[in-house]
Amino acid sequence: MPRVPVIRVGNVLIASVQEDVNDREATDLQDELLQLLERTGAMGVILDVSLLQLIDSFLGRMLREIAVGARLLGAQTVVVGIQPAVAVTLVELGLELTGVRTALDSEKGLRLLHRLMTHTRAGNWSGNERSRKD
Amino acid sequence: MSASNDAMRASERQSRTIEEQRQTILELQTPVIQVWDGILALPIVGSVDTARSQEMNEALLQKIVDTGAEIVILDITGVPVIDTAVAKHLLETVSASRLLGADVLIVGLSARMAMTLVHLGLDLSGVLTRTTMAKGLQLAFARLGLEVVHRRGAASVSLATDDLEV
Repeated sequence: MPRVPVIRVGNVLIASVQEDVNDREATDLQDELLQLLERTGAMGVILDVSLLQLIDSFLGRMLREIAVGARLLGAQTVVVGIQPAVAVTLVELGLELTGVRTALDSEKGLRLLHRLMTHTRAGNWSGNERSRKD
Repeated sequence: MSASNDAMRASERQSRTIEEQRQTILELQTPVIQVWDGILALPIVGSVDTARSQEMNEALLQKIVDTGAEIVILDITGVPVIDTAVAKHLLETVSASRLLGADVLIVGLSARMAMTLVHLGLDLSGVLTRTTMAKGLQLAFARLGLEVVHRRGAASVSLATDDLEV
C-alpha cells in the first residue's frame, strides 16, 4: 500500500504528499504516478504539497523529475500549495523548480491544468507554454 | 551625579527616537498594494539590501496567499542604482512568487538601468519587464483577460467634488 495516495478524477491524477514523506516514499510516488499515467492515459497531474513544511533538495528534484517524466508521457504537471516559508527556502537553496508549473491552491491548479490540457490537445508544437491565454 | 543622570536620560531619549524612526522606516518600506482583483503591486523605493529584501519577500508572499493574486508587479522606479546584489534579490523575489503560482513583472526600468544590467551580464531572462507601471498594468490586464475601455463623455465628470455638492 503506497504511503502517498493518488486519486484519479477524470483524466487528472491528484497526489497529496503527506507531511512526513521520506525519500523512499517519494521515489515510490514518482514510479506510481508515471505508471498510472502510462496505464490510464491521464493528461494531467496535480501534486499537492501544502502539508509540507520543508522541501529539501531531494524532494525538490523529485518534483522536477515527475514533471519532466509526465511531460514525456504527454501530461502536464502542476505543483500546488507551496507554503511561503517553503518557497523562500527553495529559492535560497537555488531550487527554483524551473520548468515546473505552480499554483496557489488545488482549485487554481486545476484551472491552470485544464487550460494547459486544452492547449496540448489543440496541438501546441512550440513547447513554449508560458502564455496564459487560451 | 545629576549631570550624569541627565546625560543618561538624553541618550535614552535619543536611542528611543532612533528606534521609533527605524520602526517607521520599516513600516514605510514594504507596502504591498492590491491594485486589482488578482494583481498586486510592490513599489520599491530606495536601496535594497538583504534584510529589506527578506522582509519584502515575506510580506509579498503572505499577501499572495491572502489575496490569491496571480500577478505581481515589482516597481523599481524608485531604486537609484541596480547592481548584482540588488538584481539577485529581485530575482529571488520573482522565483519565490512563482513557486506560489504568481507571475511577476518588473516595471520602472530606465535606459541606464537596462544598460547597467546588460553590462553586468544580467539579462533577467525569463522575467517580463516594462518601462512604466502603466505598461505593466496593461500587460497584467491582458494576462487576466481584462480590457480597459474609454467611454466617451464620461471624462468630464469630476471625481473630486461629485459627492460634496449635494
